[in-house]
Amino acid sequence: MAEGKIKYYSKMLETKEISCSELTESFLTAIENANSDLNAYVKVTPETAMETAKAVDEKIARGEKLAPLEGIPMTLKDNISTKEIETTCCSKILGGYKPIYNATVWETLSASNAVLLGKTNMDEFAMGSSSETSCFGGASNPHNIDHVAGGSSGGVASAVGGNIAVYGLGSDTGGSIRQPASFCGIVGLKPTYGAVSRFGLIAYASSFDQIGPITTTVEDVAIVFDAISEYDKMDSTSQGRKGEPTVNSLKNDIKGMRIGIPREYLDGIKDEVRLAVENACEVYRSLGAEIVYFDLPALKYALPVYYILACAEASSNLGRYDGIRYGYRTESYKDVNEMICKTRSEGFGAEVKRRILLGTYVLSAGYYDAYYKKAQNLRGSIVNAFKNAFQNCDVILAPTVPMTAFEKGNAISDPIETYLTDICTVPVNIAGLPGVSVPCGFDGKGLPIGMQLIGNTFCESRILNAAWQFENAVGSEVFKSSKYGVKI
Amino acid sequence: MVTHEDVLAIARLSKLYISDEELDEMTKAMDDIIKFADTINNAAEEGVEFDNINNLSNAFREDEIVPSYDREEILKNANDIDEGHFLVRKRV
Repeated sequence: MAEGKIKYYSKMLETKEISCSELTESFLTAIENANSDLNAYVKVTPETAMETAKAVDEKIARGEKLAPLEGIPMTLKDNISTKEIETTCCSKILGGYKPIYNATVWETLSASNAVLLGKTNMDEFAMGSSSETSCFGGASNPHNIDHVAGGSSGGVASAVGGNIAVYGLGSDTGGSIRQPASFCGIVGLKPTYGAVSRFGLIAYASSFDQIGPITTTVEDVAIVFDAISEYDKMDSTSQGRKGEPTVNSLKNDIKGMRIGIPREYLDGIKDEVRLAVENACEVYRSLGAEIVYFDLPALKYALPVYYILACAEASSNLGRYDGIRYGYRTESYKDVNEMICKTRSEGFGAEVKRRILLGTYVLSAGYYDAYYKKAQNLRGSIVNAFKNAFQNCDVILAPTVPMTAFEKGNAISDPIETYLTDICTVPVNIAGLPGVSVPCGFDGKGLPIGMQLIGNTFCESRILNAAWQFENAVGSEVFKSSKYGVKI
Repeated sequence: MVTHEDVLAIARLSKLYISDEELDEMTKAMDDIIKFADTINNAAEEGVEFDNINNLSNAFREDEIVPSYDREEILKNANDIDEGHFLVRKRV
């Protein structure tokens, strides 16, 4: 499955085998049929989609050449701002909110006639690992709808895995692109912090958040990443992609590439997942890469460091929801303070409240040094540990998640247990590194297993090269289409 | 040990009401999470000073004066407005 869907559909459009309107209609029909099972979309935008499709068809009729993503039906996670289209972060508190501007990523894609099918489900404010904290209910796994699609970008992963979108953009603060991609058997890239503009992404934890693509193949993930990784003056942390487009180096030989595996990543993971990752090592050896095991003890504190810092940033970022300027407002109140408190208490779900409280706790006088400051210093240690690791290897290979998709309802019963599922994904966000999750097998129940390739900062080309080579070598062994969606 | 009083004090700072029904569960959850967070205080190392990610400095640029969003546009999402302002009515 090394040939991507984007080029496939793009060629069909250019050779007039199908019109963009027909292609878009088949996706809209597939959404209608599959969404009651998958709950991937929280808002479908047929008018916008058909209008764009018509413009693409006119362009084709005029004999004009199409841009790589032109006319390709896609979706956006519901925390990416879309002008005049409701953007709720799947929270009651943003009910009815229609942004007055586009996120830069959407501005870029819509300028090249990307066909927006709709907005997809997510954990409320991207806080969760199963999409079940969404005020619209959780998204289902297209491989087995009794299991979760993962989170927080569960809706995008469910839609792409279920063939009701060709690709989608999600956001990854602690694993929210890679974990659902892993659960749904598809590819998800969390770019280097600063590679993709965050302007218009509704903030959860600003020093961790990063937008990235979710697709079915590595080639597709590279095409979308190349399209959205431009410097943006609207984001003060934006740097854009460094170097050539990543699609140029996908097929490079990886003979002699040093692939490092930190032993800490293999602690406490399920046997089936460990086995799949070990098999991947064999594949890499057969391609001429060298596997090196090493220790990365700083990872031990990654999870508490992540939760302390992300919640601290969230408690500040979510201070803006006061019921005055946008979104939900409580019905009855005595004064401004009561209005704000009641609005927030009624508008936020339990997980969001927990994280705001934790963030406020670790930032409060008396606890700041013991938690927030200490966590920041350990963040520094983790950054340095990765920096040293990349002296001795080109990329790092690790499981994406210690397990496969859990059954619905299990994630929300125990917060700490759920936080532990993020153990393999958070270090990348702590250090601002790029990481891509690619499918590497199935468990005994037929649920997909994912592995991630982690690179040094701005080394997306290298990890995508390693990912493409793996995908090309194993082909259909790790790829199983779900029963849902468009079959063109 | 996180107490009911701690949770209520933090909730006040966070502008959240915690109902009597929610209080026990939230206190237990907070206590579990803080205990988990406490593991960083077992770290032998002090860590290194961290001020920003990837050694990034802010991407400074020249300040250009460009038109901002239209006032009417900005007010469109508000629950209550009056003469070009956000409005919070006094209610009893």
